Amino acid sequence: MKNRITVASLTCPAKRRKSKSLEKRRARMGYVFVLPFLLGFLFIYLPMIIESLKISFSEIDATVQPVQYNFVGFNNYVSAFIGEDVRFLQELGTNLLELLLDIPAIVIFSLFLAIILNQKMRGRGVFRAIFFIPVIVSTGIIEYIDIAANSMTESMGAVGTPEGDQAAAAGSEIISQIDVQRFFANMAVGQGLVEYVTDLVNNVYGIINRSGVQLLIFLAGLQSISPAIYESAYIEGASSWETFWKITFPMISPMILVNAIYTIIDAFTTESNNVMKYITEINETAGTTNLSLAMAMSWMYFIVILLIIGAVAGIISAYVFYQRRD
Amino acid sequence: MDSFDRPNFSKNNVKLDENLSGWMRFRYKYLTLFAAKKFFWALFRYALLIGISYVILFPYYSKISTSLMSGEDFVDVTVKLVPKYPTLATYKMILNETSFLEATLNTGMVALFCGVVQMLACALVGYGFSKFNFKGKAILFLCVIITLVIPHKTMQSTMRFFFQDFRIWNISTGLNLLNPGSDSIFASHWPMALLSFGAIGYRNGLYIFMMRQFYKGVPDELEEAAYVDGAGTMRTFWKIIIPMSIPMLVTIFIFSFSWQWTDRFYTKMLYANSDYVFFNQILDEVQKTATATRWFDDYAQIANDYALAIQNAVGILILIPLVIIFLFGQKKLVQGIERTGVTG
Repeated sequence: MKNRITVASLTCPAKRRKSKSLEKRRARMGYVFVLPFLLGFLFIYLPMIIESLKISFSEIDATVQPVQYNFVGFNNYVSAFIGEDVRFLQELGTNLLELLLDIPAIVIFSLFLAIILNQKMRGRGVFRAIFFIPVIVSTGIIEYIDIAANSMTESMGAVGTPEGDQAAAAGSEIISQIDVQRFFANMAVGQGLVEYVTDLVNNVYGIINRSGVQLLIFLAGLQSISPAIYESAYIEGASSWETFWKITFPMISPMILVNAIYTIIDAFTTESNNVMKYITEINETAGTTNLSLAMAMSWMYFIVILLIIGAVAGIISAYVFYQRRD
Repeated sequence: MDSFDRPNFSKNNVKLDENLSGWMRFRYKYLTLFAAKKFFWALFRYALLIGISYVILFPYYSKISTSLMSGEDFVDVTVKLVPKYPTLATYKMILNETSFLEATLNTGMVALFCGVVQMLACALVGYGFSKFNFKGKAILFLCVIITLVIPHKTMQSTMRFFFQDFRIWNISTGLNLLNPGSDSIFASHWPMALLSFGAIGYRNGLYIFMMRQFYKGVPDELEEAAYVDGAGTMRTFWKIIIPMSIPMLVTIFIFSFSWQWTDRFYTKMLYANSDYVFFNQILDEVQKTATATRWFDDYAQIANDYALAIQNAVGILILIPLVIIFLFGQKKLVQGIERTGVTG
């Protein structure tokens, strides 16, 4: 230790000490800047999630004040899986399957749209504005009204529905499912693919609605690709198709990773997600056993989400191309 | 910056012979494979974009038109998309007989506050994450991701417990410092404010992430120049970084404002049993008023449709201010998004 200091002070003492203190000062300023989040996380968020973890591992006795927590180990988790209520597992399973199909569709669709909206053309600003509307508008109350309207339309079913509903329904059913099925049946592809495509087509409104933020992120990524690369590729005689796969796709691949993760998070945590609905439902039903159960379910759900994010991030980042700038 | 556009050889670079007839000129100019390809691509593009725009806009149109329909329109089978007997009665009823305006005022104030505070807090935090190196940065950023992954909705019970118990005692008076009237800060504006100040409100992780990506694209030389001129870190942030990130800030403000404006969850939970009225109470109130004033009586068989029309009218009224803000901020929004300059 002593030896090192003498060597250091012999070579360039003043500079070394100064740079170290500057570094320290910068680090201190860093803490100042992230302070809002640090405080919020430590004093509000962390207590909340610790509390919920505690509840998920215990049975609550609300009859006594203050509320008693009796530690019951993994009981709540086990009963979420093999309790009399099997809906959690069912919902989780169908939900995972659905999202497995939806997420690639959303990512590919938003990439496609971003590429189109990035080209020079008349009315580009107007189209962009229209495409961002769902991000801003189709949340919370508006989404709730829509869901209520849909369920109302569905519940009335075929029993002589007045014409007002058809107006509401016409927007979501652009192509009749039977037409699409017939079209694909002629092409003699597998039944699974046909169902996938018809589901996507019927769900197109939902997919467009959910790809707003991804579209923004892709647009931002496309803007950051230097035009010089395209120019040189063009001079070398590359076709548009080659340019897309050799330049745009690798350059945009970090954004694909970001978007895949964002889509997963968004899909799993929106209000209209079935598992979320189920957990909130349990949460809102009175009774403290329900509360522990809901918490246990939420925690398992988060772990599933994190695992999926980890897996997807692992797979995609193996293929992501990073342009080294420095 | 727009992406590179291919040079158009067919139009500009080939000098056409002056002696050619009009038809031949036209033929050389437009009846080429290149021009045809371009034309069909443009056709395809516009067809696609217009189609998708239709899918996006149609529900809003149908909302507007059903909200303008009167009882006769619902009975009349020939009325589909355009009301035959348009009426503003629904709107009048909502505005006059419910506390819609009060709810607008309350929601507007909360949304404005959340928008501004979350925007600034996330800008600060994002700047801290992008430009400084400190111990535990990676772990703290993981925490940001965790706040994004764990939705508040599943935590609602613990959130309620937490804010019911949360209080800061004033030492001299022994009263609750934040909300002197009662012993809990529940049903006041404080929980919302605390969430916003702590940058842990609705989707704030996303805003922090966006700000971080934006500031990563800002060259360090800019700040170094300010330091050389004698400005401190904070001064540099306020005088140089904030003004240059205005498009991004507007983007985040619009997100935060509009998501808070249409929010059901926070206002329902954090303002339970309070005197403040918000939009989600209005939805129920409108239905009650409609039933109480025997609004449906003449049209018993289409009461469901009518109820739907009234809900749509509420939806439209909620949307109008948002659309106005969006139209004003749209240009900045697109700019801000383009400048995220995100790479990994």
